[in-house]
This record gives sequence, structure tokens and C-alpha cells, in this order.
Amino acid sequence: MAARVERIPKKRFSGPGWRPTAKAYVYLFPTFFILAVFVYFPIIESFRLSLNRVAPFGNQEISVGFDNYRRLLTSPDFWDTVKVSVYFMIGTVPVGIGLAVAIAILLAYPLKRLNWFYRTLIFVPVVISSAIAGTLFKLLYNPVVGFFNHWLSIIGIDGPNWLNEQNWAVVAVTIAVVWRQLGFNVIIALAGIQAIDEQLYEAAKVDGAGVFRRIWHITLPMLSPTLFFLAVVNVIISLQAFGEINILTDGGPGRGTTNLVYQVFVDGFVGTRFVGRASAQAFLLAIMIIGISIINFRGLRSRVHYQ
Amino acid sequence: MTTEPFLLDEDITAQPEHVAPRSRWADLPVHLTLLIIGLAIATPIIISFFISFTPLRELVSRANPSILPDTWTFDNYEKAWNATPFGRFVLNSFIQTGIITAAQVLFSILAGYAFAMFEFKFKNALFAILIGSLIVPFELTFIPNFLLISDLGWANTYAGLTVPFLASAFGVFMMRQFFLSIPRDLYDAAKIDGASDWKYLWAVMTPLSKGAISAFTIFAFLSAWNQYLWPLIITNEENMRTAQIGIRFFLVNQERATDWGAIMAGAVIVMIPTLLVFIVAQKQLVKGIAASGLKG
Repeated sequence: MAARVERIPKKRFSGPGWRPTAKAYVYLFPTFFILAVFVYFPIIESFRLSLNRVAPFGNQEISVGFDNYRRLLTSPDFWDTVKVSVYFMIGTVPVGIGLAVAIAILLAYPLKRLNWFYRTLIFVPVVISSAIAGTLFKLLYNPVVGFFNHWLSIIGIDGPNWLNEQNWAVVAVTIAVVWRQLGFNVIIALAGIQAIDEQLYEAAKVDGAGVFRRIWHITLPMLSPTLFFLAVVNVIISLQAFGEINILTDGGPGRGTTNLVYQVFVDGFVGTRFVGRASAQAFLLAIMIIGISIINFRGLRSRVHYQ
Repeated sequence: MTTEPFLLDEDITAQPEHVAPRSRWADLPVHLTLLIIGLAIATPIIISFFISFTPLRELVSRANPSILPDTWTFDNYEKAWNATPFGRFVLNSFIQTGIITAAQVLFSILAGYAFAMFEFKFKNALFAILIGSLIVPFELTFIPNFLLISDLGWANTYAGLTVPFLASAFGVFMMRQFFLSIPRDLYDAAKIDGASDWKYLWAVMTPLSKGAISAFTIFAFLSAWNQYLWPLIITNEENMRTAQIGIRFFLVNQERATDWGAIMAGAVIVMIPTLLVFIVAQKQLVKGIAASGLKG
């Protein structure tokens, strides 16, 4: 008896009770309900669909295991769309980020006036949709009323038939995507540059470093977390390019600008619907994108840091 | 995605303060370079404005394309507005965008408040699940969502256009971050005065968070207005198209007629709301973007 009294009752910390929990869940419910139905559930459903195929006769859905994936990975058409996706990535990411950083360095220059004016002109693509970007550039590329080839002819270059030659169509879409993304990239790069400690520049100046050396030895290294972030975001955005392709080329000429996303759209929603194949491709694409996002989460935390 | 390198309060539109005294002309090369770059970037938009006021016969007859019209006309706007039910498309876009924006803002405030102020079971797990949803790409969800919305009979309805987007994990995150920055003492004082959580949220928290809420509102408005793939697949009746989809079909129809004046008039109509938001609220928008790393 005495021993029992002496034992200090171990009160386990049980955390918040159910009453405050219930209250919090009321506040959370709308958000999590929508996310559950339209984000979390579809992830599983998408995978299930990718294991199915509509039987050739009748509308019966039959399970085919990983056959959709096997067929995709052995089909040259699939690898063509992967190739197009990679072309867009190689075309947009280095150019888009390079331009953005150069412009942001200029914008960070402490001008006494007109700063707002330049920023307005340079940031404006940020509010333009992919559909509008496609529409504006379709005019510029037009061989008759368009402007690009006219401007090129002024400097003596015979412009290509932008949207009807396979290689040039890839370039044409790339330019439109880079343009639409530029405002965003400059904003992020500028935020990164302005977060750099001013004293570093002062110290370098005292040591006699010129403008370019200061950019090379201070701005760019200090900017590396931002550059890494931009690279990841731009890779993801380039993999997801859709609106510009839909309006400028409709995936053509031939299948020249049909990237993975566009093929998912064509398989899933144009003419005969191949939901299983579309889902399998969407799933492969999503794995790539999620993988890159996770690298982003980890990379920003650990690798590229100077502080 | 992540927001680590970018602080919410960081004001990148502010003028730097350390301007050393320089001669009047020292800045000239920077001015010129920025002017040229700025004009180059804005050129596609500038051109669309001028072409939208150029008469068709001028467009097709002149030997070399020119940016400025010789004579100015409003015909293109009349044509774009009447040839397709553009008024209807714009109305649809406003309804769709309005519903999505209002719901995202409201639900994000509620959930953000819970994550910032309450202690409850599975809080960390739920927050991780919420943030995890940010890396789920659209491609993974839109086919099942299309099938679900179709089964519900919501294709070609405002419900079909909006319901999948009524919540925003990014919005919840942004609201939570901002609410956490408000001193907890205020909350404790209000509690002592007998205010309920609900009352504290709407009487104290939201008025103090006007800046963050308006930044997210602008962000939500632009994302919703500029949506393309989802409205393209979930509507096939002309009178349910949004403005972005309208411009695509108008372009396909008019291109054969090379009626670029009318096409650009349509594009300008679709762009105007976003350009107005950009001009009026550039500062909040830029802040929101610098804080987010999410677009499209």
C-alpha cells in the first residue's frame, strides 16, 4: 500500500484534447475537403486508371496491370514526346534564368527616378496567361502580317517559316514560354539580389573590385539558393508547357511540338479517349515533377547555402 | 514549393536608400539599357494594342507590317464582341474567377487561422499533408477530376469550372505565416476580455492582415482568370466558355480570314482585367510572387 502511494503517477503528456481539436477541424474542413476530393483522391485514382484499358469491343474497362507502362516505354512515339519535353527544358531554363538575372542586376542599380516605369514594363508578362502569350506570338510569327520576319529582313536575315518547320516550331514555342515566364523570374531574381548584404559590396569596392568582378564574386555566389530555386521552378514549368503549344502549333507540325503534357491531353481528351494510356503518361510525368520538387525542398535546405 | 529565401515583408519595389551622390549623367547608360529591355519585353503587348485599332484593309494591303495604324478604328472591337459571344465569355470568366477567388481567400483565412492559433491533434501531420499537396502537379489530377465532374453532371456548369479550385494550400500557408507574425499577446488579451476565437479572427486578425489578404486575393484572381487547360476540357458548349478559351476558338476561326485586328481586339479584352490589376496593385502582386514561387 505504502509503495503505491509513493510511486509518482506518471502523467503522460497527451497533447491537446478532442474538444479544441474538433473546433480546429471545423476551420480546416473546407480546405481539406476540397483537397481530399480533388487532389489526394485523384492521385490514387490516376494510378488505378493507368492500370486499366478500355476493351476493344464494348465499353468495358479491364485491368491490364502495368501493360500501359510497358507499351509506352517500348514505343518510339512516347520517347519522341519525352524528347520534345527535354528540348523545351533545355531551351527555356538556361536562357530564361540567364536573361532574368542579367535584367535583375540592372534593375537593382539604384536609379533616382523612373525605376517604377522600367519595372512595370519588365514585370508585365507575369499577368499574361499562356493562351494570350500564344495569341500574341502567333501574330508576331505570322509570315504575312507578322513582325519577326519583317524585323529580321531589316538586318538582312531571311526569317524561317516559324510555325511550319519542325525545329523552328520548337524554337517558336520556347521563345513564347521564356517571354511569359520572364516577369516572374526577374521578380524572384531581384528579390534574391536585394537580400544580399550591402556591406559585402562595400568591402569589395574598398578592395578595388570592379563591377563585373563584384557580380561574379559576390552577386552570383550569394544568389545561388535563388538560382537553384529558379532552375527547379523553370524546369517544372517547361515540362508543363501547354497553352502556348495548344495555340501556336497544336502539337505540330507533325508531332514536332507534342510534349508529354500535350500527348496526355490528346490521348485523354481529343477524339477517341485512351484514358489508361493518358493516365500512365501523366503518372510518369508527375513522378518526374514530384522528384524535382523534392530535390528542391532538400537542396534549398542543405546544399546551396552561404550563410 | 518553398519560400525560404524570400521574406514576406521584403519590399523589392522600394527604392534603395544608399544612393551615393553622382553626376546627373552617370546613370544614363543604365537608363537607356533598361528602357530598351523594357520596351522589348512589353512589345508583344504594345503591338497587340495598336493592331487592335488597325482597320483590316490596312493590315492586308500594306507591303510591310507597321506597328502604328494609319487610321484608327473601333471596328475590330465591335467585331470581336459580336462575332463570338465575347460578352458572355468575359461574364463567365468573371463568375468563375469571382467564385474561386472568394472561396480560396475565405477558406485560406479559416485554415490558416487554425494552423496559426490552435493546438489540435495531428496538427503537424495535417500541415505536412497540406504542404505536400503543393508539389502534386496538375497533370496527375486532371483526368480523374474530369471523370468525376462529368459523372456529377457538372461539365459545362459554373460548378464544374470552379469546385475543384475552391481551396488553396498556398493560400493557407501564406495566411498562417502572416497570422503567426501577429503578437500572441493580442490573442491572450482578447481571450481575457471574453472574445471568442471566431470574433477575434474577424474583428482583430483580418483587419491587421489586410496586406497579406489583398496580396493573396490578387494572386488567386490572376491564377483563376488565366486558367487554360481545365476550362478547355470541362466546357464544350460555346456559352460556357471562359474568355481564355473564347480567344482560342476565335483565333482558329478568324485566322483563316487573317483578321488579326479582331483577334488582337479579343486578346486585349481578355488581358485588360489582368493588366488593370497589375497597374493598380503591382506592389502587392510582386510581394506575393516573391513570397510564393508559384505561378500557372
